[in-house]
Amino acid sequence: MVGFTESEERQALRQAVSELAHKYGHEYYTGKARGGGKTDELWDEAGALGYLGVSVPEEYGGGGGGIGDLAAVCEEFCAAGTPMLLMVVSPAICATVIARYGTDEQRARWLPGFADGSVRMAFGITEPDAGSNSHRITTTAARDGEDWILNGRKVFVSGVDEADAVLIVGRTTDARTGKLKPALFVVPTDTPGFEYKEIPMDLVSADKQFGLFLDDVRLPADALVGSEDAALAQLFAGLNPERIMSAAFSVGIARYALDKAAAYAKDRNVWGAPIGSHQGIAHPLAEVKIETELAKLMGQKAAALYDAGDDHGAGEAANMAKYAAAEAATRTVDQAVQTHGGNGLASEYGLGTLLGAVRVGRIAPVSREMVLNFVAQHSLGLPKSY
Amino acid sequence: MTNIVVLVKQVPDTYSERKLNESDHTLDRESADAVIDEINERAVEEALKIKEAGEGEVTVLCVGPDRATDAIRKALSMGADKAVHVSDEALQGSDMVATAKVIAGALGKVDGYDLVIAGNEASDGRGGAIPAMLAEILGVPQLTHARELSLEGTTLKVDRETEDGVTHLEANLPAVVSVTEKINEPRYPSFKGIMAAKKKPVETLTVADLGVDAGELGLSGAAATVLEAAPKPPRAAGERVEDDGDGGTKVVEYLAGQKLI
Repeated sequence: MVGFTESEERQALRQAVSELAHKYGHEYYTGKARGGGKTDELWDEAGALGYLGVSVPEEYGGGGGGIGDLAAVCEEFCAAGTPMLLMVVSPAICATVIARYGTDEQRARWLPGFADGSVRMAFGITEPDAGSNSHRITTTAARDGEDWILNGRKVFVSGVDEADAVLIVGRTTDARTGKLKPALFVVPTDTPGFEYKEIPMDLVSADKQFGLFLDDVRLPADALVGSEDAALAQLFAGLNPERIMSAAFSVGIARYALDKAAAYAKDRNVWGAPIGSHQGIAHPLAEVKIETELAKLMGQKAAALYDAGDDHGAGEAANMAKYAAAEAATRTVDQAVQTHGGNGLASEYGLGTLLGAVRVGRIAPVSREMVLNFVAQHSLGLPKSY
Repeated sequence: MTNIVVLVKQVPDTYSERKLNESDHTLDRESADAVIDEINERAVEEALKIKEAGEGEVTVLCVGPDRATDAIRKALSMGADKAVHVSDEALQGSDMVATAKVIAGALGKVDGYDLVIAGNEASDGRGGAIPAMLAEILGVPQLTHARELSLEGTTLKVDRETEDGVTHLEANLPAVVSVTEKINEPRYPSFKGIMAAKKKPVETLTVADLGVDAGELGLSGAAATVLEAAPKPPRAAGERVEDDGDGGTKVVEYLAGQKLI
């Protein structure tokens, strides 16, 4: 992005994605979510059109675009009421990490599938006892000849039942110092010793949450992504896109809710005028519109910095965008429900389903409090909290 | 190789409020979002299907103001190969006869067309006569209102569907076909298609390039003049049926009275 207008191609991409998503619509999504189904039809069609692989390098069949393009796709799906959570994980984190740090063999094996959406990869980082403290990750890989033996537990991993593999953040023992250091492993979901169990959630989401159990999971040498020594950089290469996508996800849902609220406020008439003519209705909607646009702009900035190769600069902007978008989306859905009165919680109006979804954005992929810690420490130079 | 030309028109979005200019009753292009006419997407789709089934080249032909490039780019992003865009202030307000002559003139700039595919009518003017007029000027067969189309060699077969029924037509190329909304479901542009569209050649022409008599063009050259235009009156209130236990019967009587059942 140069300046404050997206390229004609980006705008055309948004339009095309929006048209596809509206063909399915929110009722399709909630039908799948409530019935335990998956959004396979939408995912597959979007994949075949190259929308899920926009940021995969061209030489592997992808679109050759950036994370900004992928975030635009994610936002438009959400804005049409068809949020696909796995987009935040599979093409954004996993494909990016493999494209940037994978070996030639790993790229050749996985990237063509990311390019057309035929591969879905989940991402497992959070552990029951580590939470956001990645230094306390206990999932450990030990060498056994050429192979790796992986042991550990993960929680709140999205979409494992739909995934071909999970990118697991584990640790290996440094041969020289004996210290543990992070390492990323691709674990196919059918590997012996790998088990997953759904965590029942009070969310209306087609993509479910899982706990993982890794008991002596034997992996070939090439399951380790890239270099054993570059894992921290690899991890952050994936986490910035995750935050940018998470921001786009929240912004998209906010747009969806705001469209519904504005349409309702223009139409609903109880005292001889549309309720949107009353400032008690109009001003809160104008406020969340402003907050949503600001969050979107910060997400675009983060994506532009990331796509320009500035990982460090992108980190601050991506965290701020994630934070701002989640706050804006939570307020927007709340205000959209309020604008609708009782109808806001009636299934027919398709808003109540989003109350939980936007709340997720304040917790994951990193909690708002951890973002505030980051900004306090890194942007303001305040003493480290943790 | 089949050389296919698809006629594409940019129209005001049917979802927005469409208006005529008060001064000359031409289309108020500023009042609504401009989009490629949906029926044209189906025409492009049909051309692409022919191309993909064998060999061919698809050229988009558009007559319209400068901003119609957006409609052209949409067609190119779907997979058309190149475009010809006739844009000239002198065309503003042209009637259908003049438009057909301009299109015929522009076709002369396309290197040997075999098949012209158009929508059966545009969603703005709704004249629905351009394909037939064009075929007449070109002196080639017209196969209009196609709901199905097949091409074997140079033989074109069309199922033509109108209110009166279905007619099975056959003609040799070159020919002009117009398609109805039943012809197909247009594809969404792929990301690669979107990225490639900007690099595809678009030849821009003015009236002077076409050998068309400028006196026949524009509002002043139009054979018919719109004297007056008024928005459609709002729909009258419906008939209310009170249900005193015989509501169903009354509804049926009403529908039968309207010859709806």
